[in-house]
Amino acid sequence: MIVCVAVVGHQNNPLYIQSFTEADDALKLHHIVHCSLDVVDERVNNPKKSGPLLNETFLGLLYPIENFKVYGYLTNTKVKFILVTTDLDVKDADVRNFFRRFHAAYVDAVSNPFHVPGKKITSRTFAERVSTIVKSFGLTSAV
Amino acid sequence: RTPPVTLAAIVGCPELHPLISTHFLSAQPPINTLALPDLSKIYLFERKPKDSNAEVPPPPPTVVGGVLKKDWLLKHRTKVPAVLGAVFRAEHVFGDPAQWLNVCLGLFVCRAVIRGRNIKLAVVIIHTGADEITEDRMIALRKRADVDAKYVIMLNPNDNSDLNQSLDRMANAFYGLATMYYREEGRRIKQRIEKKNVSSVELIVRYCFKVAVYAEFRSDWPEALKFYEEGYHTLREIVGVTTRLPAIQRLVEIKYVSEQLNFKICTLLLHSGKVTESVAWFRQHKNAYKRLVGTPEAIFLHWDWMSRQYLVFGELLETSSKTAQIFPPITLGSASKPLSEWEFHPAYYYQLAAHYLGQKRSSLELVISTTETSSDTDSVDSVVPSTYVGQFARILELGDNVDMMALTDEEYMRYAVSEGRRFRDSLEIIALLRKAYESFNSSNIQRMAALCGFQMGKEYFSEGDSSNAKQIFDSIASLYRKEGWITLLWDVLGFLRECSRKSSNVKDFVEYSLEMAALPISSDANLQRDTGPAGPASRIQRETVHKEVFDLVMEDSVSETNEQLNNLKINGDKPLQLQVDLVSPLRLAMIALVAFHEQTMKPGSLTSISVSLLSHLPCTVEIDQLEIQFNQPSCNFFVSNAQKPQSVGVTDTQQHRVETSTSLLLEPNKWLRLTYDITSDQSGKLECQSVIAKIGPHFRICCRAESPASLDSLPIWTLDDCMQSVPIKDSVLVLSGQKIIQVEEPEPQVDVRLGAFGPALVGEIFLVPVTVISKGHNVYSGELKINLVDVRGGGLFSPRENEPHALDSHHVQLLGISGPEGEDDSHLDSDKIKQVQQSFGLISVPFLKNGDSWSCKLEIKWHRPKPIMLYVSLGYTPTNNESNPQMVHVHKNLQIEGQNAIELNHHFLMPFRRDPLILSKNKQASESNISQSLPLNQKTLLIVSAKNCTELPIRLKSISIEADNDVERTCSNQHGNEELSNPALVAPGREFKKVFSVSSDKNISKLVLGTVCLTWRRDLGVEEQSASTTGTLPWVVTKQKLPDMNVELPPLIVNLECPPYAILGDPFTYYIRILNQTPLLQEIKYTLADAQSFVLSGYHNDTVYVLPKSELILSYKLVPLASGLQQLPRFSMTSVRYSAAYQPSSSSNSVFVFPSKPHFKNEASTNFRLESVANE
Amino acid sequence: MVREVAESCVDSLLTEMVASYCNRFYANKPELAARRIEAIGYQVGHQLSERYTMERPRFSDHLEAIKFICKDFWTELFKKQIDNLKTNHRGTFVLQDNKFPWLERISIDPSTDKVNSAEDDSFTTAENKAASTISMHLYYPCGIIRGALSNLGITCAVTADISNLPACSFVVRVKA
Repeated sequence: MIVCVAVVGHQNNPLYIQSFTEADDALKLHHIVHCSLDVVDERVNNPKKSGPLLNETFLGLLYPIENFKVYGYLTNTKVKFILVTTDLDVKDADVRNFFRRFHAAYVDAVSNPFHVPGKKITSRTFAERVSTIVKSFGLTSAV
Repeated sequence: RTPPVTLAAIVGCPELHPLISTHFLSAQPPINTLALPDLSKIYLFERKPKDSNAEVPPPPPTVVGGVLKKDWLLKHRTKVPAVLGAVFRAEHVFGDPAQWLNVCLGLFVCRAVIRGRNIKLAVVIIHTGADEITEDRMIALRKRADVDAKYVIMLNPNDNSDLNQSLDRMANAFYGLATMYYREEGRRIKQRIEKKNVSSVELIVRYCFKVAVYAEFRSDWPEALKFYEEGYHTLREIVGVTTRLPAIQRLVEIKYVSEQLNFKICTLLLHSGKVTESVAWFRQHKNAYKRLVGTPEAIFLHWDWMSRQYLVFGELLETSSKTAQIFPPITLGSASKPLSEWEFHPAYYYQLAAHYLGQKRSSLELVISTTETSSDTDSVDSVVPSTYVGQFARILELGDNVDMMALTDEEYMRYAVSEGRRFRDSLEIIALLRKAYESFNSSNIQRMAALCGFQMGKEYFSEGDSSNAKQIFDSIASLYRKEGWITLLWDVLGFLRECSRKSSNVKDFVEYSLEMAALPISSDANLQRDTGPAGPASRIQRETVHKEVFDLVMEDSVSETNEQLNNLKINGDKPLQLQVDLVSPLRLAMIALVAFHEQTMKPGSLTSISVSLLSHLPCTVEIDQLEIQFNQPSCNFFVSNAQKPQSVGVTDTQQHRVETSTSLLLEPNKWLRLTYDITSDQSGKLECQSVIAKIGPHFRICCRAESPASLDSLPIWTLDDCMQSVPIKDSVLVLSGQKIIQVEEPEPQVDVRLGAFGPALVGEIFLVPVTVISKGHNVYSGELKINLVDVRGGGLFSPRENEPHALDSHHVQLLGISGPEGEDDSHLDSDKIKQVQQSFGLISVPFLKNGDSWSCKLEIKWHRPKPIMLYVSLGYTPTNNESNPQMVHVHKNLQIEGQNAIELNHHFLMPFRRDPLILSKNKQASESNISQSLPLNQKTLLIVSAKNCTELPIRLKSISIEADNDVERTCSNQHGNEELSNPALVAPGREFKKVFSVSSDKNISKLVLGTVCLTWRRDLGVEEQSASTTGTLPWVVTKQKLPDMNVELPPLIVNLECPPYAILGDPFTYYIRILNQTPLLQEIKYTLADAQSFVLSGYHNDTVYVLPKSELILSYKLVPLASGLQQLPRFSMTSVRYSAAYQPSSSSNSVFVFPSKPHFKNEASTNFRLESVANE
Repeated sequence: MVREVAESCVDSLLTEMVASYCNRFYANKPELAARRIEAIGYQVGHQLSERYTMERPRFSDHLEAIKFICKDFWTELFKKQIDNLKTNHRGTFVLQDNKFPWLERISIDPSTDKVNSAEDDSFTTAENKAASTISMHLYYPCGIIRGALSNLGITCAVTADISNLPACSFVVRVKA
């Protein structure tokens, strides 16, 4: 189950962060997302280590914490998407698919002329779309 | 924790033991030595008396005391040697039979002792060289000792080189024996495993462990690893199977053992450089045991254990990465289970260790709170770790007899709880977190470091250590602020606020509170648990914080109501002022934008200034009074709140302007816009510096004034909610409004006139009169600045930089400034002319009353014809006010052309009708006339003409040719240097000519002619007569160097001779004289062309020879046929020797034919050429 | 969700925007009008680049990003590529479009010509005026390029040069 998704701007400022859990503490998830940015930085600054993932937007598993797995995605415009999930056995393809749909939703959201670039995403449509994507995560990898 | 080291024992000859043991220790591989002085101690090695085994019936095979015996490894490392070295002296071995018998006895004892343990024996003979070695005694010895020949080692301590060798040999032999011993021991135990008839799983684990340790002893790492892993896996099977111990203790034991095994495995992996495998193993280990939490009341034991796992592995990783410098390999684990970067960081493990320790603490606290009965501490005292790893037992002292008694789980729990109480976990947690924090920071992993710091700060906070907590929180807060993680920042600020409350730091408390209240958090209710003292990040909470801090601020002196804030006070003794600058986080709480409506203003005139304030605080703030401060303090003004008139009671406001505003309510996220008129008398920059808001009796917020344009530099997330409103209604001002205005100078009421006429002439001193006329202002401390600037932009300096002081280096030069007319020039005080440089001058103007005037003259000299721009600016103050000098400036400029007054030209003229054949000229005629050549020994005329190129008449005093001083005079010139009796007037555009004759008789190739000196001045016409004084205008001397001439001897000179005039029909003789100046016979071909106007006799062409140094005369009779100026028949000749054709110039080749004989009044007309002719 | 907007509509919109800003909102402040128009372009470029870089690996250097602008981005905007790209390899790129669609339909107002043709002096000012009007139309595409590049992490300044009318070159100067 996805517990948290986040959009982080190119200055590492949060643009959108939403947790999908009642049980866990939102603050902790914020901390997890924030710390995962360190891994993103490391991956981007030392592309050699990432090996085959060179310059791909999907960054793969960032780091495992006791009960979570954190995945990352970095767009060409230096916007980071972070996904925190409790599933311990996650298919890479599912995550990629998730990020692709999420990216599309994000692009639609920021293309709104009333959205100011670099500002938080407050669109309700975006939030609804995200929750749909989150709910369908892992159900079908065909979409 | 280090890998076990082979242990050997030596006995006998104690004096040599230190030598041997140090050598063994440094040998490769090292051997630890157990030194026994004599045989009496050897019984230590003897196996525990077998009879004890016989006495107590063997325990039933199914019951095993424990998995591992705690001291087993220790025993093998320190007590049970693998090899026993019996040391004998050679004289004893090879001496008399009594001694030999002693040796034999010793050997027998040794063998008897070690047989039980299978310890290997080696014999060392100390051989000093004195005794001979007998072979049969050696054989006997070997037989007695039952050792191979190579394990009988001779040692000669007196021979140094030999000693080292034999010691090495001894170490090798010992090591070989030890390996053999360990292998045999290992194999023996391995067989037990393989037989599969081992009574319990515990034993298998134990045996695996032993095999692995033995393998380690002989440095067989793969084998060791294999058996450790096997033991580990077998141990996993025990879980849930065995029922040997009470449940809690059972789990504790298993975990202890698995910890031991895991530690061994990880160490081995790390030592062999397999970091990735090690990390993967550890991960698997922790995953396997993570769920084995055990019973709820003992859960803290599990967390404790987990924490220890992480800590130990972190330390292992740290030491191994320190020694081996192993960096995370490129392939991060396998594809299915990728490892992340952090798992190679020791800090990651420290952090998790701290995390689990924290869990342990909280669950321990829970246990303690539930089981309040801590009465029977005495029963706990006697509990000690038992002989088995991970087991505990109670010591029962029955007299001398000490016995262990197993514990029940309850007893054990009591023991564990009391043990847990003794430790201060938070200190441990802080230490762990600090380790992680520093490690992350040093690898520049800021955010993980921040998380560690946050947890550390929380620990400090709960420990009550506010200063440490504050320090750490502050450093984290800056990161969260920078990246805009508001929820995280909110939490940190909440802690910081409490810290400053505890340390009663009012300023910090107010600052943190305001920042919190102003954070852009809009969610109404957030279901967050486990929040810090800040409470959940929500709008309501923001309002609470806001109210609290403003209650504190507005609080009147003594009304002490709030119990919480009792140590925080703001009163008259401790007024509080906060500074908000461009980088302050409090910009969110209050920001002040200031914009003048104009870019510039006149002094004394009015313009408007807009002050806009914005606050993101959640509730409306009422400001009592605003103070707006400028860099010109006289402009400062106050805005007071009409609703609160009493607040403007401060004395210093009386001298300042006080405006009143109907309300100074600062609503959340809404600009408070105020516009006021402003004026300034002081010219220069007027900048708004700060806006100070006074809220409550003793609290002020001082905002640095910002221009509206600087809004762009706000952190991008700050204006999320409120971007729609603009600070100023005028959209132009929003984009371009500035907090700075330029106050212009007052209108000058002084006129500066530059009176200059006409262009300036190169060489003369050109005077520019400057007049300062006051028309309404008094001029105090006036100062005139003069600047010469090249109009075309080039410099006024010539590129000849190497002669900076040469007069010519400045094309135009400011020579000086002469004083006002009527005064004598020389009376100008030196302090009045402050500075005159080549292109810049500064002169002070005396005090002028209104209506007075003052003038001076600038003396400027042109060296090159160049137009310049003359800038004159007058700076003065209209009032004699020392304290407030308000400068007024008047600028004037004038372009002045510089012209060459006179153009000098010259040319040479041969004597009339006399042409030398100059060979060089002929040659160069084809190429280019670079330099002219003059004939040697001939008189040549030099005509110098001076043309007036100005539009003014010029009076010429003299033209002369002056020889260059330093050059030897190489020619004579006549008619040189007499002055003109009366200076000649040269009208514009006209030329003045003077003729000089030049002759050179020296046989040199280069003729230096000298310099033409021209003395002139501009003619002032009528003025000249009226002024009549000679001093009005000085004479100007213009010099121009004449080019050097080549001189050469012409080989032939042709002289055409004919009468000065002819008469129509009257024949005359035309002589052509050819002078050969060479000592050679010259062949000449000549032609005389027909001419229409003349009839001539004689050869038209011929070839003649001219004798050396002689003259040939050709003579023709000519009869003119037409009157007027007629061309004589053209003569041309070719010198065959020089193959040089030659034609006399046509100008000298004509004659005037009168129709009849003329009558001259004055016959003497031959000398006209030598007169100076003006206006030709 | 594919919407196609007729090119002429975009043309008219651009013309109207320039006219509004130059003649109404900031009538006497051409530099402010230019700033506003450029800022609008910036946001448009910023948002478009977000969309057009989807599904594409990250650019490793500036040249790659500029090439993206020249090829894919330009094709998305104008159905054609930039005709010529020059660089000094020190952060300056010149993107030349020989037939820039937004300049294709611009011509100089003939009425101003007629009135002022008598005087030579005012003819040149009319020409200047035309040039400044054209450059007003170019602030918008400059802003688009700048917005797109800055979203790709390249802060730069973009200016435009008009040589002869439908051709146009954009100069990108990357700030170090």
